[in-house]
Amino acid sequence: MNREKSEGYAMLQKYILSNTKAKIGIGIIVVFALVAIFAPVLAPYNPKAIEFVPWEKPSAQHLLGVNSYGQDILSQVIHGTRVTMIVGIFAGLLTSLIGVFVGLVAGYKGGMTGEILMRFVDVLLSLPSLALMIVVASFLKSMSIRSTVVIIGALSWLWMARSIRSQTMTESKRDYVDAAKALGMNSLEIMFREILPNIFPVVTANMVMVITSSMLTEASMSFLGIGDPSLVSWGKMLSVAFDNSAIIYGAWWWMIPPGLCIATLGYSFMLIGNSFLDTYSNDRGGAVKL
Amino acid sequence: MRNMNLSYFIRRLFSALLTLWIALTINFLLPRLMGGNPADFIASQTAMGSPEYAEALSRQFGLDKSLPEQYILYLGQLLKGNLGVSYSIFPVTVSSIIIKAIPWTLLIVLTSTLISFAIAWVLGTLAALKKGSSFDNVVVGVSFYIQSTPYFFVGMLILMAFGYYLDWFPMSHALPPGLSGDVPWYKLIGSVARHAFMPVLSLIVVSLAGRMVMMRSNILQIFSEDYITLAQAKGLRRGTILSKYALRNALLPSFTGLMLSLGTAVGGAITTEMIYSYPGIGLTIMNAIHNQDYPLIQGCFAIIAVCVVGMNLLADLIYPFLDPRVSLK
Repeated sequence: MNREKSEGYAMLQKYILSNTKAKIGIGIIVVFALVAIFAPVLAPYNPKAIEFVPWEKPSAQHLLGVNSYGQDILSQVIHGTRVTMIVGIFAGLLTSLIGVFVGLVAGYKGGMTGEILMRFVDVLLSLPSLALMIVVASFLKSMSIRSTVVIIGALSWLWMARSIRSQTMTESKRDYVDAAKALGMNSLEIMFREILPNIFPVVTANMVMVITSSMLTEASMSFLGIGDPSLVSWGKMLSVAFDNSAIIYGAWWWMIPPGLCIATLGYSFMLIGNSFLDTYSNDRGGAVKL
Repeated sequence: MRNMNLSYFIRRLFSALLTLWIALTINFLLPRLMGGNPADFIASQTAMGSPEYAEALSRQFGLDKSLPEQYILYLGQLLKGNLGVSYSIFPVTVSSIIIKAIPWTLLIVLTSTLISFAIAWVLGTLAALKKGSSFDNVVVGVSFYIQSTPYFFVGMLILMAFGYYLDWFPMSHALPPGLSGDVPWYKLIGSVARHAFMPVLSLIVVSLAGRMVMMRSNILQIFSEDYITLAQAKGLRRGTILSKYALRNALLPSFTGLMLSLGTAVGGAITTEMIYSYPGIGLTIMNAIHNQDYPLIQGCFAIIAVCVVGMNLLADLIYPFLDPRVSLK
C-alpha cells in the first residue's frame, strides 16, 4: 500500500509538480472553473435580461459592452463559462471512454475484432463529422446540454481510438504482458489492469486534448444553429453576434471576449496534454508516435 | 516482387471499396431513419398539399417500394452517377448542384492547403533546428493557441479586419452579384481572387498550426535516428545533412498528411464557407440540412466519402514508391 502511494506521488511529481507547462495549464483551468462555479455571484447582471441600450460600447457600467438585444456581454461571458466547460469536459470524458475501450480492444485483440472495429472507424472518418452531428441532432425533437454531450462524444472518439490502438499494439509486445498471460490472466484483465495503467499518461494526454476539441465542436455546432436554444455558451454568443451583423456594426466587444475565452481555455488543456506526452516520450527514449 | 505489388494493390483497392460501400449504406439509411415523407413535403410546398401529387412524387422517388428494393435502386443509380433530384430546388438534379459547388470548395481548399504546407515546412524545420530557442517556443506556443481557436472565430476576425475595417476585399460570395457574361477574363480572375482571399487566408491560418507542429516533430524524430548520427560522425556539413537526409525523410509522412487532409478538407470547410457565404459544398450541405433536402445531403456526403477514401487509397498506393522502407503488406 505504502509502495503504491509513493509510486503515485512519483507520477504526480514527474507529470505535474515539476512540469511548468502543466502547472500553467492547470492554473488557467482553475481560474475558469472558479468563474463557472461562482457565475451568479460574479456576473453583474442577469445574462438574459434585456434592459440596456443596444450596441453600447464597453464602459464602466458594462465592462464588455452591450449586445444588439440590450444584454450585458460580461454577464453572458461569465455564465457561458459554465455551459462551455460542462459540455467540453463531459463530452471529452465520454469520447475518451469510448476511444480508450475501442482502442484497447482493437489493439490487444487484433485479428477479426480489431479489423472490424478499425473498419468502422475508417467508415465514420470518411463522412464529414460536423455535418453528421447536425444530421443526427435533427433526429431529436429538442436539444439539451445532455444530448449535445452525447452527440459530440458518440462521434468524436475515432482519432482517439486510433491513437490508443497503436499505443496498445506496441505495449502488447512487452514482457509484462507475456508474464500476465503466463499467470493466466484473461484478456479483459490484461487490457485494463496491465496495459491501461502503463499507457495511462498517453490516455490522460489524449483525454485533456479531446476536451479542447469537444469545446471547439460545441462552438461549431452552436455556430451552425444546433444546441439548446435557452443556454448561453461562448459558441452561441459568437453565433448570435455573427447572425446579428456584429461585424458590420464594428461590435468587436461582442466577438473578441467569447472567442478568446474558448481559445485560452482550450489552450490550457492542450498545454497539459502536450507536456504529459513530452514527459512520457522522454521516458521511453522519444519513441512515442501518435 | 511484381506479384507482391499486384496483391498489395488489389488488397488496398478492395479495402477502400469496402469502406466506401459501408459509408454509402449508412448514407442511404440516415434520412430513412429520420422519418418524414419528402413527397408530402414537396407537395405541400408546390401543389398545396395535393395528395394525388404527393403520391405521384412518391412513385417517382421510388418511396412506395420496400426498403431493400429502394437500396438496390439507390446503389444502381449511384453507379450510374445519378444522385437523384433535389427536394428544395425541385426538380434540379443533385449532381448539377454539386458540380456547381465543388469547384469553389476545391479552389479555396487546394490553394490554402498548398500555401499552408509550404509555410509549415519552412517554419517547422526552422523551429526543429533551433529546438528550445525562443523562436521555437513562440512557434509552438502560438500553434497550440491557434489550434484551440474555433475556425469560424478566425474567419470572423479576418472578415472584420480585411472586410470591414480595411475594406480591401468583398465580404461575401464568390463573385459579385449580377455579374454579366461579357466581362473580360482577366477581370473575372481578379474578382474571383479578391473574393477567395479571405476564405483562403482563414483556412491557411487554422491549418498552419497543426501542420507546423507535425513537421517540427517529424524533423526532430529523424534527427534522433542513427543515419543522421552517422552523417554527423562523417563530418558532413549541417546543410548537407539537412537537405540530403533529413528534409527528404521528413517530407514523407507529411506527404501522406497532405493527401489525407485534401480528402477531409472538402467537408472541413463548412464553417468557413458559412462565414463568407462562399457557395461551396459546405454551404450547400448546410442549406440542404436546413431545408431537409435528403437527396442533396446524401449526394454531398457521397462525394465527400469518395474524396476521403480515394485520397487515402492514393496515399497508400504512392507511399511505398516514395519510401522503400515501407513493406508492401
